[in-house]
Amino acid sequence: MPSPLTRPPLSASQPDTGGRRLPRTLHPMAWWIWALALATAVSRTNNPLLLFLVIAVLGYVVTARRTEAPWARGFKYYLYLALVVVAIRVVFRAVFATGITPNDHFLFALPRVPTPDWYAGIEIGGPVSLEAVLSAATDGLRIACMLCCIGAANTLANPKRALRVLPGALYELGVAVTVSLSVAPQLVQSVQRVHRARRLRAARTKGLDALRGIVVPVLEDALERSLRLAAAMDSRGYGRAGTATRNSRRITGALMLSGMCGLCAGAYGLLDATAPRILGLPAMAAGAVLCVAGLRLGGRRVTRTTYRPDPWRFDEWAVAGCGVLSAVVLFGNAGFNAAELNPSLYPLSWPTLPPVPAAAILLAGAAGFLSPPPQAPTPPTVTPQRTEAAT
Amino acid sequence: MSGSVTRAAHALAPLGMAIALLGGSATTASAAPQPMGQCTTSSGAVLAVDFSKWGGPIYRSCGTTPTTGYELLNQGGWRTTGTGHDGPAFICRIGYSGHRGGKQFPPPEQDDCVLTPPASAYWSYWHADAGENTWEYSQLGAMLYKPKPGSVDLWIFGGTDIEGTRGRPAVTPDQLRARNTQPTGGGRPAGSKPTRQVQPPPPGVDTGPAPTRTRTVPAPTRKAPPSPSATTPAPASVSPSPPASPAPPPSPSIPATSPAAVAAPSSAKVVDAAPAADAEHDSGSFVPVVAAGGLVVVIGAAAAVAAKRRRAE
Repeated sequence: MPSPLTRPPLSASQPDTGGRRLPRTLHPMAWWIWALALATAVSRTNNPLLLFLVIAVLGYVVTARRTEAPWARGFKYYLYLALVVVAIRVVFRAVFATGITPNDHFLFALPRVPTPDWYAGIEIGGPVSLEAVLSAATDGLRIACMLCCIGAANTLANPKRALRVLPGALYELGVAVTVSLSVAPQLVQSVQRVHRARRLRAARTKGLDALRGIVVPVLEDALERSLRLAAAMDSRGYGRAGTATRNSRRITGALMLSGMCGLCAGAYGLLDATAPRILGLPAMAAGAVLCVAGLRLGGRRVTRTTYRPDPWRFDEWAVAGCGVLSAVVLFGNAGFNAAELNPSLYPLSWPTLPPVPAAAILLAGAAGFLSPPPQAPTPPTVTPQRTEAAT
Repeated sequence: MSGSVTRAAHALAPLGMAIALLGGSATTASAAPQPMGQCTTSSGAVLAVDFSKWGGPIYRSCGTTPTTGYELLNQGGWRTTGTGHDGPAFICRIGYSGHRGGKQFPPPEQDDCVLTPPASAYWSYWHADAGENTWEYSQLGAMLYKPKPGSVDLWIFGGTDIEGTRGRPAVTPDQLRARNTQPTGGGRPAGSKPTRQVQPPPPGVDTGPAPTRTRTVPAPTRKAPPSPSATTPAPASVSPSPPASPAPPPSPSIPATSPAAVAAPSSAKVVDAAPAADAEHDSGSFVPVVAAGGLVVVIGAAAAVAAKRRRAE
């Protein structure tokens, strides 16, 4: 019988967790790639069944893998926003009538605003058909779905850690964004603290007086805090220009500017079908190359290391991969009829559920169990006094 | 009490008026498809749709006036599809039940008809009033334009610019419009084929250069002998046949000597489309909806279980 000591030691990265996976936060970029790929897939389809499936999948992944951080509670607000988008789309479609045909199902009529002859291109009000309402709703649902995808990424990924992935040249921008992102929670904290202090001193906590009594200390607190932060950052060497010479800075600026111009021209060329060919992909590629060169050159003067960088392991590959795969399937047009992705509502007919795209969307939902579980929230420490009071 | 009732009646009045308006527009739907012989130089509106981009002919059919361009294009077996973004008023696809079983063009592989199609590939709408031999690019949508008696409406697929100077139709209105002054051939035998060949254009009428098509598929069922002038290598030559009608401006986008222009005689033939029954519409089955609903419920239940487990931890 071999002694326990002779057993091969467990590898450091795979500690024995009793069959359960170690909770850790996934690399934020993996979540962003997953969500953006899913949004890309959504942009391809207008099929309400597929869209509802996407929302269900997003809901499942968010519930299963969100943390308890303040930004991780926002998914339901994205859902409200999605509802508002659908409602706006339907109302606009009803008001700016798009015409009703004898084959349509008449729902109701809005009073028509007469427009003069020379303005006959636009009709306001008039009969509204069931087909128009449904097609506006599915159109809105698609935008709503994309919004929810972005919302899921915001909920699942830690924004502060995501900013660390920025290229070195944009480091200072990232720092500024991180600082501004932390302002809101700090303000809330500060207001609560001042409010509690006033209550303990038996001062009024309501009314205009109280408002002044709270706002002034909170502003003072914010100012003090920012001065402290500035001093701390200064002492740690932030804002240092490094070894950049004036020439290299100029070259960086020129590269970035021309690169951005190239990207703009390329986007225009790709979107406008009548633009000359040369303006499309070649300009885009040239702009991208110039931008990368500019970022590289600019990043050279930033010599900073990252404290505890997020690892990119198998889980990250799996999550990003299943998102990208769903987008590839929906754009691949293989194994299904492209018409099923965009069913027409004129004349009314039941939408179909093409199996391949549906499977691709369900596959994206596999991110819910492919990703490691989030870190459990630290349980509130129970102070001894309170325990005594309770007993 | 009675005051509130009158107020309610006042409030409802515009609604009633709108419904009445709707009813009115429904009664003007007395516009009816007609055999081509019923259209004359001064009555009825001729509808022509060019399917040559997909190897089909130019179909033409006849409808009574008053009508709208949309109604003319949605009767007698014709059917259109709008876009998801703009509704049925934007003509995205056109199909005729007598042509390939009512398949609508462009097919979904070429345009998914979700957003407004690009200006480089869409159905453009052209009119020519009675006696005119130049096409006018429509300034109104199909639902708002009301064709005049004796006019020709033409739909061609391709690209135009905003002024309608590029991508003009290759055929002339005179090739499409009704020539008879009195209605003829009213009593078509019921069992006749839905389409029949029309007279080839009179000699000396050039069918004009092909529009800027990228993939001109020659009509596979082409039987009509090409008109003698069809092989003239000067496609920009204008139609000399109609007396006292202004010559159509040669389309500037097509150089007169380009090979595509020489290939212009492959321009589609004109075929009369008789009023036909609408293509069958299958409203599909509701099983996929139930299946998708079930999937959503299952995923939702999984999410609920996950949420519950989290709360328990």
